[in-house]
Formats: sequence, C-alpha cells, structure tokens
Amino acid sequence: MRPVAEVVDDARRERFESLAVTLIEPLRRYLARRADPTTADDVLAETLLVCWRRLEELPGDPLPWAYRVAANCLANARRGVRRQERLAAKVAVVDPPASVVPGPGDTEAPDLDAALAALRDEDAELLRLWAWEQLTPAEIAEVLDITPNAASIRLHRAREKLRAELGARKGDRPAGHEESDEGSRS
Amino acid sequence: MNDDQLRELMSSRDPAASLPPARPERVARLLEDTMSPDVQTPADQRQEADPRRRTPLTWVLAAAAVLVIAGVGFFALNGGEGRQPTATPPSSEAPRTVLHLTAPPPTQGRCAMVTARLLGNQDSAFDGTVTAIDGRSVTLEVSHWYRGGDQDLVVVEAPDPEMQALIQSVTFDQGGRYLVSATDGIVTVCGFSAAYSDDLAAIYAEAFGA
Repeated sequence: MRPVAEVVDDARRERFESLAVTLIEPLRRYLARRADPTTADDVLAETLLVCWRRLEELPGDPLPWAYRVAANCLANARRGVRRQERLAAKVAVVDPPASVVPGPGDTEAPDLDAALAALRDEDAELLRLWAWEQLTPAEIAEVLDITPNAASIRLHRAREKLRAELGARKGDRPAGHEESDEGSRS
Repeated sequence: MNDDQLRELMSSRDPAASLPPARPERVARLLEDTMSPDVQTPADQRQEADPRRRTPLTWVLAAAAVLVIAGVGFFALNGGEGRQPTATPPSSEAPRTVLHLTAPPPTQGRCAMVTARLLGNQDSAFDGTVTAIDGRSVTLEVSHWYRGGDQDLVVVEAPDPEMQALIQSVTFDQGGRYLVSATDGIVTVCGFSAAYSDDLAAIYAEAFGA
C-alpha cells in the first residue's frame, strides 16, 4: 500500500491541474495586455506557483483571485525592472504592448488609446478589467480588493470619463468633419 | 455611446486579441514546473541575482524622489498615538519611488504575540535591506512588497528619541535584511518588524500570501 501522504499529494496535484488549465489562458491574456512577452511568461509562472502553494485558499471562482495575484506579481516585476533600468540605464522592457494596429476601416474610429491614456491609471485599469477581461463589477471588486459597491460606482464613473474623453477628441477634429450633416440640412 | 458600444470599442483594441492559445505541451511543462518541489520562481532568481552594488547617482536620485506618505497612528502596542497623514501619490516621473514611514513614539505597552492574523491587519509590508542609517532615518531598499506599495525605497523617519527606540526595538543594522510592516504610515514594532528570519518570513507569507 502507498503511504497516505503520497495519495494526498496526488489528489492535490490533480486538483491543481484541473484548476490551472482553466486559469492559464485568461491569465496569459491578462498579462499579454499589460506586459512584454518575457515578463508575461515570468509572471505567469510566478502566479501559478502562488496558486499551487495556496491551493487550499482558492475561492470557488478562482479567476478574480488569480488576477489579483498576477497583478501583485506584475507590480513587483515592474519595480524590479525600474531598478535594473536605473542601474544599467537600459530601455524599458515592461511597457504595455502596443494596441492592435488599426486596419484600413478603422481610421474613423475615435482615438481610444489616447482617451484611455488621459484617464487616471485606476480608472483605465477598471475599464480594461471590464472590457478586456469581461469581468462583472463584483469580480472587479475582488481583483482590486475593494467592495462590489465601490467597484460599481467607480466603473460607472470611469465609463463616463472615457466617454467624455472620446467626445472631446471627436470635437478636436477639423471643422466640418462632424457637423457636415447639420450644414447640409439648412 | 452606450455601455455595450463602449465595451465593444475597447474590445476591438484588445492587445491580446491576436494571442494564440498556449500549445498543450507548453501548458504541461508549465504545470510540471509549478508542481515540482524546490522550484525557483523568477522572483527568487531576481532576488538572489539582486546586485548589491549601488552608484552614488542612485542616492542622488533617491534624494530627488522624496514622496511623503505618513499617517495616522495605529500599531500593535498599547498607547500608539495618532499622527496627521500627509500623503502624495507616487509620481511617474520620479526615477526612484520612496515610501516614507515614521516610528511609533516610545511606549511602555506590552507586545502581542506575532501571528499571521494580527500581521494581516497591517496595510503595508515588505522585505528589504537597510542601505543607510543616520540619527533620524533608516533607508531600506525593497526587494519584495507583500502588501501596500510598489515603491523602490522606504525611508523610516522619526525624531531622535523615537528613532533610537525604533532602532533598538527592531535593531536596524546597515546591510541587514528586514521584514517590515506598517499601518497608517507607522512602523509596527514589537517583533512584527524584525530582522529577516525563515520563521518570520513564513508568518509574513501566511499573512499576506506571496
């Protein structure tokens, strides 16, 4: 008969494997949106290790919890990179990746990148979690360690701010571009 | 533009949209690496490879990047006194970010036992190495934040008698590695902040996660 510890260990490994396969893809995407490929790989490995070590603490829906771990690991990685840059005067490597290059049909799309960049980091991150990770306010609350109520209110305000920024950018366009309908009506 | 349209607009610029799924063999390798004992995380490697050499420029930059986050008092002793917070958010232009903490006033309070539960109530906690000490301040370079910050340096400042008391209670030494926690800008003493040991590190890990 095999020792009890070994059987327990196997069960734990199985449990982790079944959970991890559901976490890996969303985490890879989360990190790809926020870090260069090398850092994303490092932080993914680190995040999985934390999940493995704290397997017993994982909540029923582990993804928001895992995003939070990834966010912490990423913050530490960024800090490490800042230190390296200062010591070696290197070029930044933890820049967020460039957004998808607009195709030919996108030239009229409002300047989302600039509008997002104009928001406070906290607001932009809320919107990313909402639109890119497709999280609900309750899930966002768990990732950011705030109350669901606060997440709802902040998300609502962040959307309003983004709309205002997008509107302001539309307004900046050359005269006649947006107002052409009105002009032709009279 | 309604919420759905806004979400759709953002999704259309998702940087991960073109990311192909991980290959199964890569996932298998990742899982195996994670579960293999004695695995070295990238963080461990970074920490070990962490160069100890520092240039004079580093200190000039550190001095240039002073941001104050001090706060209202609570600490794990009886008789902690309040202080007024003066906080500024970290500046993205600062070459080195600094978190400022203060020391608790000297007290006759008795110490509670260091437990993960009590420690988990602290709002900031880090692992760092003392890089400078003078009569009024101790500077630590952070190697890992458990909670509450991403600054590179932490400067603990206090008027002389209090600093002396803090240095005595935590026994900060130049070059030493410490685990430090704080709440509302005040360092938690009484064994909650102390020289690095595996035992204390285990309590920090339990209280804050990785």
